[in-house]
Amino acid sequence: MKEPRDTLQTACRDFEEDLVLHYYGDGSAAERSRVEGHLQSCSSCQEFLDDLRKLLPKMAEPSELPPMFWDNYYNEMVEKLAIHQERHAWWKSLFAPMRGWMVPAFGTAAVAALAIGLVVGRGHWHYPFSQTQERIPQEILADTNQLEFFESMDMLETLSSLEALDGTKVQPGNNHHS
Amino acid sequence: MNQTAQQDLRDEEIVALCQKGQSEVFEVLVRKYMEKAFRIAFDFTHDVEEAKDLSQEAFLRAFSRIKQFDGRSSFYTWFYRLVVNICLDHTRRKGRVIWERLERETERGTEPMEIADASSSPDQEAMAGEAKRRADRTLEAMPNKQRTAFLLRNHQGLSIQDIAKVMKTTEGTVRVYLHRAVAALRQSLLEFV
Repeated sequence: MKEPRDTLQTACRDFEEDLVLHYYGDGSAAERSRVEGHLQSCSSCQEFLDDLRKLLPKMAEPSELPPMFWDNYYNEMVEKLAIHQERHAWWKSLFAPMRGWMVPAFGTAAVAALAIGLVVGRGHWHYPFSQTQERIPQEILADTNQLEFFESMDMLETLSSLEALDGTKVQPGNNHHS
Repeated sequence: MNQTAQQDLRDEEIVALCQKGQSEVFEVLVRKYMEKAFRIAFDFTHDVEEAKDLSQEAFLRAFSRIKQFDGRSSFYTWFYRLVVNICLDHTRRKGRVIWERLERETERGTEPMEIADASSSPDQEAMAGEAKRRADRTLEAMPNKQRTAFLLRNHQGLSIQDIAKVMKTTEGTVRVYLHRAVAALRQSLLEFV
Protein backbone atom coordinates (compact mmCIF):
# COMPACT_ATOMS: atom_id res chain seq x y z
CA MET A 1 0.00 0.00 0.00
CA LYS A 2 1.21 3.46 -0.83
CA GLU A 3 2.48 5.60 2.04
CA PRO A 4 0.04 8.40 2.69
CA ARG A 5 1.30 11.95 2.29
CA ASP A 6 1.08 14.10 5.38
CA THR A 7 1.88 17.55 4.05
CA LEU A 8 -0.24 19.58 1.70
CA GLN A 9 1.72 21.14 -1.11
CA THR A 10 -0.14 24.33 -1.91
CA ALA A 11 -0.34 25.75 -5.39
CA CYS A 12 0.57 29.35 -6.16
CA ARG A 13 -2.20 31.61 -4.88
CA ASP A 14 -2.69 33.33 -8.26
CA PHE A 15 -3.01 30.05 -10.10
CA GLU A 16 -5.05 27.77 -7.87
CA GLU A 17 -8.47 28.76 -9.21
CA ASP A 18 -7.18 28.60 -12.79
CA LEU A 19 -5.72 25.15 -12.12
CA VAL A 20 -9.15 23.88 -11.09
CA LEU A 21 -10.62 25.26 -14.31
CA HIS A 22 -7.68 23.85 -16.24
CA TYR A 23 -8.36 20.42 -14.83
CA TYR A 24 -11.96 20.58 -16.05
CA GLY A 25 -10.92 21.96 -19.43
CA ASP A 26 -12.61 25.29 -18.76
CA GLY A 27 -11.31 28.80 -19.15
CA SER A 28 -10.35 30.76 -22.24
CA ALA A 29 -7.47 29.81 -24.57
CA ALA A 30 -5.42 32.65 -23.11
CA GLU A 31 -6.01 31.40 -19.56
CA ARG A 32 -5.09 27.89 -20.55
CA SER A 33 -1.82 28.88 -22.19
CA ARG A 34 -0.95 31.05 -19.18
CA VAL A 35 -1.51 28.09 -16.85
CA GLU A 36 0.41 25.69 -19.10
CA GLY A 37 3.34 28.09 -19.24
CA HIS A 38 3.37 28.36 -15.47
CA LEU A 39 3.15 24.60 -14.97
CA GLN A 40 6.42 24.14 -16.88
CA SER A 41 8.32 25.87 -14.13
CA CYS A 42 6.26 25.30 -10.95
CA SER A 43 6.42 21.92 -9.27
CA SER A 44 3.90 22.72 -6.52
CA CYS A 45 1.23 23.72 -9.06
CA GLN A 46 2.07 20.60 -11.05
CA GLU A 47 1.57 18.54 -7.91
CA PHE A 48 -1.72 20.29 -7.18
CA LEU A 49 -2.97 19.41 -10.67
CA ASP A 50 -1.77 15.81 -10.31
CA ASP A 51 -3.73 15.50 -7.05
CA LEU A 52 -6.89 16.70 -8.77
CA ARG A 53 -6.33 14.17 -11.57
CA LYS A 54 -6.03 11.38 -9.02
CA LEU A 55 -8.90 12.35 -6.76
CA LEU A 56 -11.67 13.95 -8.72
CA PRO A 57 -12.43 11.34 -11.40
CA LYS A 58 -12.89 8.68 -8.71
CA MET A 59 -15.44 10.79 -6.94
CA ALA A 60 -17.52 11.08 -10.08
CA GLU A 61 -17.65 7.38 -10.84
CA PRO A 62 -21.33 6.50 -10.78
CA SER A 63 -22.58 3.39 -9.06
CA GLU A 64 -23.79 0.82 -11.53
CA LEU A 65 -27.48 0.05 -11.33
CA PRO A 66 -29.06 -2.91 -13.13
CA PRO A 67 -31.12 -2.22 -16.29
CA MET A 68 -34.17 -3.47 -14.44
CA PHE A 69 -33.84 -0.53 -12.07
CA TRP A 70 -34.15 1.91 -14.98
CA ASP A 71 -37.07 0.00 -16.49
CA ASN A 72 -38.89 0.16 -13.18
CA TYR A 73 -38.00 3.80 -12.78
CA TYR A 74 -39.38 4.65 -16.20
CA ASN A 75 -42.58 2.62 -15.76
CA GLU A 76 -43.18 4.10 -12.32
CA MET A 77 -42.66 7.56 -13.71
CA VAL A 78 -45.07 7.00 -16.60
CA GLU A 79 -47.66 5.77 -14.10
CA LYS A 80 -47.15 8.80 -11.86
CA LEU A 81 -47.52 11.10 -14.87
CA ALA A 82 -50.77 9.38 -15.84
CA ILE A 83 -52.18 9.78 -12.31
CA HIS A 84 -51.08 13.39 -12.25
CA GLN A 85 -52.71 14.04 -15.60
CA GLU A 86 -55.93 12.33 -14.55
CA ARG A 87 -56.19 14.49 -11.44
CA HIS A 88 -55.42 17.56 -13.47
CA ALA A 89 -58.09 16.63 -16.04
CA TRP A 90 -60.69 16.23 -13.28
CA TRP A 91 -59.80 19.62 -11.86
CA LYS A 92 -59.89 21.18 -15.30
CA SER A 93 -63.28 19.71 -16.16
CA LEU A 94 -64.69 21.20 -12.98
CA PHE A 95 -63.83 24.66 -14.22
CA ALA A 96 -64.24 23.90 -17.90
CA PRO A 97 -67.26 26.16 -18.41
CA MET A 98 -65.34 29.04 -16.87
CA ARG A 99 -63.48 31.06 -19.49
CA GLY A 100 -60.33 32.99 -18.67
CA TRP A 101 -62.06 36.37 -18.55
CA MET A 102 -64.66 34.99 -16.16
CA VAL A 103 -62.27 34.70 -13.22
CA PRO A 104 -61.62 38.44 -12.76
CA ALA A 105 -65.29 39.14 -13.57
CA PHE A 106 -66.42 36.85 -10.78
CA GLY A 107 -63.89 38.38 -8.42
CA THR A 108 -65.11 41.92 -9.17
CA ALA A 109 -68.73 40.86 -8.72
CA ALA A 110 -67.95 39.25 -5.36
CA VAL A 111 -66.16 42.37 -4.09
CA ALA A 112 -69.04 44.59 -5.27
CA ALA A 113 -71.61 42.36 -3.56
CA LEU A 114 -69.64 42.50 -0.33
CA ALA A 115 -69.40 46.31 -0.48
CA ILE A 116 -73.15 46.68 -1.12
CA GLY A 117 -73.87 44.27 1.72
CA LEU A 118 -71.76 46.32 4.10
CA VAL A 119 -73.42 49.62 3.09
CA VAL A 120 -77.00 48.32 3.20
CA GLY A 121 -76.57 46.24 6.32
CA ARG A 122 -74.96 49.00 8.38
CA GLY A 123 -77.07 49.86 11.45
CA HIS A 124 -78.93 46.55 11.28
CA TRP A 125 -76.13 44.55 12.65
CA HIS A 126 -75.79 43.80 16.33
CA TYR A 127 -72.35 43.50 17.69
CA PRO A 128 -72.01 41.03 20.52
CA PHE A 129 -70.06 43.48 22.68
CA SER A 130 -72.89 46.09 22.54
CA GLN A 131 -74.95 43.81 24.77
CA THR A 132 -72.27 43.34 27.41
CA GLN A 133 -73.85 45.84 29.81
CA GLU A 134 -77.17 43.95 29.67
CA ARG A 135 -75.54 40.65 30.43
CA ILE A 136 -73.71 41.81 33.59
CA PRO A 137 -75.46 40.39 36.69
CA GLN A 138 -77.16 42.87 38.98
CA GLU A 139 -74.98 41.95 41.99
CA ILE A 140 -71.84 42.97 40.17
CA LEU A 141 -73.44 46.22 39.00
CA ALA A 142 -74.42 47.01 42.61
CA ASP A 143 -70.81 46.41 43.66
CA THR A 144 -69.64 48.75 40.97
CA ASN A 145 -71.97 51.51 42.26
CA GLN A 146 -70.63 51.00 45.79
CA LEU A 147 -67.10 51.23 44.52
CA GLU A 148 -67.87 54.57 42.90
CA PHE A 149 -69.36 55.80 46.23
CA PHE A 150 -66.23 54.81 48.15
CA GLU A 151 -63.99 56.44 45.58
CA SER A 152 -65.89 59.75 45.94
CA MET A 153 -65.50 59.49 49.77
CA ASP A 154 -61.76 59.03 49.37
CA MET A 155 -61.64 62.10 47.20
CA LEU A 156 -63.43 64.21 49.85
CA GLU A 157 -61.05 62.95 52.52
CA THR A 158 -58.09 63.93 50.40
CA LEU A 159 -59.67 67.35 49.84
CA SER A 160 -60.07 67.95 53.57
CA SER A 161 -56.49 66.85 54.24
CA LEU A 162 -55.30 69.32 51.62
CA GLU A 163 -57.39 72.07 53.23
CA ALA A 164 -55.86 71.24 56.65
CA LEU A 165 -52.40 71.45 55.20
CA ASP A 166 -53.21 74.66 53.44
CA GLY A 167 -54.66 76.17 56.68
CA THR A 168 -58.02 76.90 55.07
CA LYS A 169 -60.90 77.00 57.51
CA VAL A 170 -63.81 74.86 56.77
CA GLN A 171 -67.15 76.49 57.28
CA PRO A 172 -69.56 74.61 59.55
CA GLY A 173 -72.27 72.98 57.57
CA ASN A 174 -69.89 72.34 54.63
CA ASN A 175 -68.93 68.80 53.78
CA HIS A 176 -66.43 67.56 56.30
CA HIS A 177 -65.65 63.94 56.67
CA SER A 178 -63.09 62.51 58.97
CA MET B 1 -46.45 10.15 -33.94
CA ASN B 2 -44.56 6.86 -33.55
CA GLN B 3 -41.96 6.22 -30.88
CA THR B 4 -38.94 6.43 -33.17
CA ALA B 5 -40.03 9.79 -34.48
CA GLN B 6 -40.57 10.99 -30.93
CA GLN B 7 -37.06 9.91 -29.93
CA ASP B 8 -35.61 12.06 -32.71
CA LEU B 9 -37.29 15.23 -31.53
CA ARG B 10 -35.24 17.98 -29.97
CA ASP B 11 -36.08 19.00 -26.40
CA GLU B 12 -37.59 22.28 -27.50
CA GLU B 13 -39.87 20.47 -29.97
CA ILE B 14 -41.01 18.06 -27.29
CA VAL B 15 -41.73 20.92 -24.93
CA ALA B 16 -43.69 22.73 -27.64
CA LEU B 17 -45.79 19.61 -28.26
CA CYS B 18 -46.46 19.24 -24.52
CA GLN B 19 -47.49 22.87 -24.34
CA LYS B 20 -49.97 22.22 -27.16
CA GLY B 21 -51.50 19.37 -25.18
CA GLN B 22 -49.61 16.32 -26.50
CA SER B 23 -48.41 15.50 -23.02
CA GLU B 24 -47.60 11.86 -23.83
CA VAL B 25 -44.37 12.99 -25.54
CA PHE B 26 -43.08 14.12 -22.16
CA GLU B 27 -42.15 10.48 -21.60
CA VAL B 28 -39.34 10.97 -24.13
CA LEU B 29 -37.84 13.58 -21.82
CA VAL B 30 -38.20 11.18 -18.92
CA ARG B 31 -36.31 8.49 -20.83
CA LYS B 32 -33.63 10.97 -21.84
CA TYR B 33 -33.01 12.64 -18.49
CA MET B 34 -33.99 10.05 -15.89
CA GLU B 35 -30.46 8.82 -15.31
CA LYS B 36 -28.99 12.30 -15.00
CA ALA B 37 -31.77 13.44 -12.69
CA PHE B 38 -31.35 10.35 -10.55
CA ARG B 39 -27.55 10.80 -10.39
CA ILE B 40 -27.84 14.39 -9.20
CA ALA B 41 -30.34 13.39 -6.54
CA PHE B 42 -28.13 10.49 -5.51
CA ASP B 43 -25.10 12.77 -5.18
CA PHE B 44 -27.11 14.88 -2.77
CA THR B 45 -28.78 12.11 -0.80
CA HIS B 46 -26.55 9.01 -1.09
CA ASP B 47 -29.74 6.99 -0.93
CA VAL B 48 -31.23 5.13 -3.90
CA GLU B 49 -34.88 5.35 -2.82
CA GLU B 50 -34.67 9.01 -1.86
CA ALA B 51 -32.86 9.82 -5.07
CA LYS B 52 -35.56 8.04 -7.05
CA ASP B 53 -38.36 9.89 -5.26
CA LEU B 54 -36.71 13.28 -5.57
CA SER B 55 -35.84 12.92 -9.24
CA GLN B 56 -39.35 11.67 -10.02
CA GLU B 57 -40.79 14.61 -8.14
CA ALA B 58 -38.67 16.88 -10.36
CA PHE B 59 -40.17 15.26 -13.47
CA LEU B 60 -43.69 15.74 -12.11
CA ARG B 61 -42.95 19.36 -11.32
CA ALA B 62 -41.52 19.92 -14.78
CA PHE B 63 -44.58 18.26 -16.31
CA SER B 64 -47.03 20.39 -14.38
CA ARG B 65 -45.10 23.58 -15.11
CA ILE B 66 -44.27 22.87 -18.72
CA LYS B 67 -46.55 25.68 -19.90
CA GLN B 68 -44.51 28.14 -17.86
CA PHE B 69 -41.31 27.15 -19.68
CA ASP B 70 -40.59 30.16 -21.90
CA GLY B 71 -37.56 28.85 -23.78
CA ARG B 72 -35.23 31.56 -22.50
CA SER B 73 -32.93 28.79 -21.30
CA SER B 74 -32.57 25.28 -22.63
CA PHE B 75 -34.93 22.64 -21.28
CA TYR B 76 -32.16 20.76 -19.51
CA THR B 77 -30.91 23.90 -17.72
CA TRP B 78 -34.46 24.60 -16.59
CA PHE B 79 -34.96 20.98 -15.55
CA TYR B 80 -31.60 20.76 -13.75
CA ARG B 81 -32.61 23.80 -11.76
CA LEU B 82 -35.78 22.02 -10.67
CA VAL B 83 -33.84 18.92 -9.67
CA VAL B 84 -31.20 20.88 -7.78
CA ASN B 85 -33.78 22.99 -5.95
CA ILE B 86 -35.74 19.92 -4.91
CA CYS B 87 -32.54 18.25 -3.70
CA LEU B 88 -31.42 21.34 -1.80
CA ASP B 89 -34.81 21.64 -0.11
CA HIS B 90 -34.56 18.01 0.81
CA THR B 91 -31.03 18.27 2.22
CA ARG B 92 -32.00 21.37 4.19
CA ARG B 93 -34.89 19.46 5.72
CA LYS B 94 -32.90 16.30 6.28
CA GLY B 95 -29.44 17.73 6.85
CA ARG B 96 -29.10 16.29 10.27
CA VAL B 97 -30.32 12.86 9.24
CA ILE B 98 -27.73 12.60 6.47
CA TRP B 99 -24.98 13.55 8.91
CA GLU B 100 -26.13 10.94 11.37
CA ARG B 101 -26.21 8.28 8.67
CA LEU B 102 -22.67 9.16 7.60
CA GLU B 103 -21.56 9.00 11.23
CA ARG B 104 -23.09 5.53 11.56
CA GLU B 105 -21.46 4.38 8.33
CA THR B 106 -18.10 5.57 9.61
CA GLU B 107 -18.56 3.80 12.93
CA ARG B 108 -19.65 0.55 11.30
CA GLY B 109 -17.15 0.89 8.47
CA THR B 110 -19.94 0.26 5.97
CA GLU B 111 -18.61 -0.19 2.48
CA PRO B 112 -19.75 2.56 0.16
CA MET B 113 -21.42 1.74 -3.13
CA GLU B 114 -18.59 2.40 -5.53
CA ILE B 115 -14.99 3.58 -6.00
CA ALA B 116 -13.14 0.29 -5.49
CA ASP B 117 -12.81 -1.65 -8.72
CA ALA B 118 -12.81 -5.43 -9.03
CA SER B 119 -9.04 -5.66 -9.45
CA SER B 120 -8.27 -3.81 -6.19
CA SER B 121 -6.60 -5.58 -3.30
CA PRO B 122 -8.48 -5.69 0.04
CA ASP B 123 -6.17 -2.96 1.37
CA GLN B 124 -6.84 -0.76 -1.61
CA GLU B 125 -10.55 -1.39 -1.31
CA ALA B 126 -10.54 -0.43 2.36
CA MET B 127 -8.55 2.68 1.54
CA ALA B 128 -10.88 3.58 -1.29
CA GLY B 129 -13.88 3.04 0.98
CA GLU B 130 -12.44 5.32 3.61
CA ALA B 131 -11.58 7.94 0.98
CA LYS B 132 -15.14 7.82 -0.32
CA ARG B 133 -16.58 8.26 3.15
CA ARG B 134 -14.24 11.15 3.83
CA ALA B 135 -15.18 12.78 0.53
CA ASP B 136 -18.89 12.36 1.32
CA ARG B 137 -18.44 13.94 4.71
CA THR B 138 -16.49 16.84 3.27
CA LEU B 139 -19.18 17.39 0.65
CA GLU B 140 -21.90 17.27 3.28
CA ALA B 141 -20.08 19.84 5.38
CA MET B 142 -19.72 22.25 2.48
CA PRO B 143 -22.04 25.21 1.96
CA ASN B 144 -24.85 24.17 -0.39
CA LYS B 145 -23.75 26.45 -3.20
CA GLN B 146 -20.21 25.12 -3.25
CA ARG B 147 -21.44 21.54 -3.17
CA THR B 148 -23.97 22.17 -5.95
CA ALA B 149 -21.38 23.80 -8.19
CA PHE B 150 -18.96 20.96 -7.58
CA LEU B 151 -21.48 18.16 -8.15
CA LEU B 152 -22.79 19.73 -11.33
CA ARG B 153 -19.27 20.20 -12.73
CA ASN B 154 -17.49 17.13 -11.47
CA HIS B 155 -20.26 14.54 -11.44
CA GLN B 156 -22.63 15.86 -14.10
CA GLY B 157 -20.12 17.45 -16.44
CA LEU B 158 -22.09 20.68 -16.88
CA SER B 159 -20.17 23.67 -18.20
CA ILE B 160 -19.49 26.64 -15.95
CA GLN B 161 -21.90 28.65 -18.10
CA ASP B 162 -24.70 26.12 -17.62
CA ILE B 163 -24.05 25.83 -13.88
CA ALA B 164 -24.34 29.61 -13.65
CA LYS B 165 -27.73 29.40 -15.37
CA VAL B 166 -28.90 26.54 -13.17
CA MET B 167 -27.79 28.34 -10.02
CA LYS B 168 -28.91 31.74 -11.31
CA THR B 169 -25.56 33.33 -10.62
CA THR B 170 -22.53 34.58 -12.54
CA GLU B 171 -19.82 32.41 -14.07
CA GLY B 172 -17.26 34.13 -11.85
CA THR B 173 -19.16 33.10 -8.75
CA VAL B 174 -19.39 29.51 -9.97
CA ARG B 175 -15.62 29.46 -10.49
CA VAL B 176 -15.11 30.63 -6.93
CA TYR B 177 -17.51 27.99 -5.56
CA LEU B 178 -15.84 25.29 -7.61
CA HIS B 179 -12.35 26.30 -6.54
CA ARG B 180 -13.30 26.36 -2.86
CA ALA B 181 -15.01 22.98 -3.08
CA VAL B 182 -12.06 21.36 -4.86
CA ALA B 183 -9.55 22.89 -2.45
CA ALA B 184 -11.55 21.62 0.54
CA LEU B 185 -11.78 18.13 -0.93
CA ARG B 186 -8.10 18.00 -1.73
CA GLN B 187 -7.26 19.08 1.79
CA SER B 188 -9.49 16.48 3.40
CA LEU B 189 -8.30 13.68 1.10
CA LEU B 190 -4.62 14.47 1.37
CA GLU B 191 -3.70 11.18 3.01
CA PHE B 192 -5.34 9.17 0.25
CA VAL B 193 -3.43 10.79 -2.60
